[in-house]
Amino acid sequence: MAEAADTETMGHGVAVPARRDFLKILTIASGAIGAGALVWPFIDALNPDADEDAVARPIVNVGGIAENTALSVNWNGQPIFIRKLTAQQIADNQFIVPDTLPDPASYADRVKPGYETFVVVVGLNTGVPCEVIGNDPADARGPFDGWQCPCDGSVYDPLGRVRGGPAPRNLAIPRFTFLDDSQIQFG
Amino acid sequence: MSSKISKPAASPWVETRLPFLASWRAHFTAPVLAPDAPYLGTLPTLITAALVFMAVSGFVLSIHYDPGQGFASLQFIDRDVNNGWLIHAFHETGTTMIFGAVYLSLFRIIYTRAYRAPGEMVWVLGVAQFALLLLVAWLGELLTDGAVSYWSLAGATQAAGNFAGLPGALGAWFFGGPDGPGTLARMAVFHAMLALAIFGIVALHYAARRAITPPAAGRVRVSFHPYYTAQYFVAFVIFALIFAVLVFFAPHLGENRLNLAPANPLAVPVAVTPSWYLLPIIDVAGAFPAPWGGTAAVIARLAVLFALPWLDRSNPAKPGGGLYRVLVVVLAVDLVLLGLVAGAGPSTATTVLTVVFTAYYFLHFLVLTPLVTAMEAK
Repeated sequence: MAEAADTETMGHGVAVPARRDFLKILTIASGAIGAGALVWPFIDALNPDADEDAVARPIVNVGGIAENTALSVNWNGQPIFIRKLTAQQIADNQFIVPDTLPDPASYADRVKPGYETFVVVVGLNTGVPCEVIGNDPADARGPFDGWQCPCDGSVYDPLGRVRGGPAPRNLAIPRFTFLDDSQIQFG
Repeated sequence: MSSKISKPAASPWVETRLPFLASWRAHFTAPVLAPDAPYLGTLPTLITAALVFMAVSGFVLSIHYDPGQGFASLQFIDRDVNNGWLIHAFHETGTTMIFGAVYLSLFRIIYTRAYRAPGEMVWVLGVAQFALLLLVAWLGELLTDGAVSYWSLAGATQAAGNFAGLPGALGAWFFGGPDGPGTLARMAVFHAMLALAIFGIVALHYAARRAITPPAAGRVRVSFHPYYTAQYFVAFVIFALIFAVLVFFAPHLGENRLNLAPANPLAVPVAVTPSWYLLPIIDVAGAFPAPWGGTAAVIARLAVLFALPWLDRSNPAKPGGGLYRVLVVVLAVDLVLLGLVAGAGPSTATTVLTVVFTAYYFLHFLVLTPLVTAMEAK
């Protein structure tokens, strides 16, 4: 009702907003834009700066990793293993029915689409928290040619899925993305 | 307007337990105000808004500030933190804006003699706010850990150490011993705590002002919204415009340039002078003999301000006379000159002039004010 009083008709029955309505909308809109422009620097200042961001989200070169070996890097204080699979290891693990495993996960769940030869895991046993061994082909990798825990004897396959031992879960997968064929970025 | 007042609350349950709406209506939409408040009457609100702005920008700075690093920490904020240079300039220039408004507000009250009964409490709280602002501004300046502020802190800790008995104990309690990283960390905490304490005084100041505001006399009465919100909006836009110009074109306005160099414990700067807003009050400290002279001069300066309502001997019911107003303008000129002289750095001439201008300041409040106002009262 109040709006009807504030509008004029232009003679042919179409209500047009009064000048006051327009000014009100203009004032509120420009005020909102100004407030947003003022608030943004404050919010952005609490974001990590470029230095911290570079440390927190490192880029790792994976082009030089030989087949059947893994590169170990430290990220967020945790050992991260980046392993390049052999064709044999892929063939052995590709078609295992997930439900037969202690912690069901398919091959596709453990790798990134387009980069299926790389497995990236946190190298800490999920039972007794020890660093698992098996990055080097000469290491004692256990019966599945993956990793083995030196502390409680848990056994993992090359995809980092738990296959035996006290460990209840698969090796964790960190947050990362492939930038291209040879670079991955964490975080 | 009347339809708005009689509108029922959206949530009666909340309204009976926390009567926001009733309070909102009583203060904002009820037509109880006279329609002729001056634009300068918005100054306390502008100061409060600027204080909120300082609290927010100070919060962001405190996230990144490290008192153990001091000067380097501010360089980090200016260069590495996202928009850190802007937040820093906001905080720095915000101080200038607040003190500009505070000095203008104090001048206006002295000039119009609004401190007289029943305005004494408002005046005393206003001066208390001013005194606390000076302390907080000084503490904030120490946090820059520049060549000048380092020696300002060193001088203060030494002066505190020279006191015996209770003042010395208070100084040791406040500064925590000689100047060092630990002292700077204390100053950072006191800066933030005392700055928040100012909001308490602001609240008391508002309550005191509301208590003595006379009911609107004439037949025409208006509500705060939209009548005064429009006025406040204009005042705020002008204030923000000046602020923006200063932030982007003169972020170091009124600062001692020497303070842009890092602190050096082995080299005393040529002039240990604070920023402009501290000059007329704090810098008299150097002109008087230690240990009591400087501190006493600062305390006495604020004390005569507190006592002003009782130094004015005139009848509050009568309007102020012209001679008094001339004297107030002379006092303002005296303070500006005092600031200029103090900012010029130490020399024999400036020391003499500082004493002269300070003497006039006390002469104005302790002799001229009672004399002129008593003559008026006859």
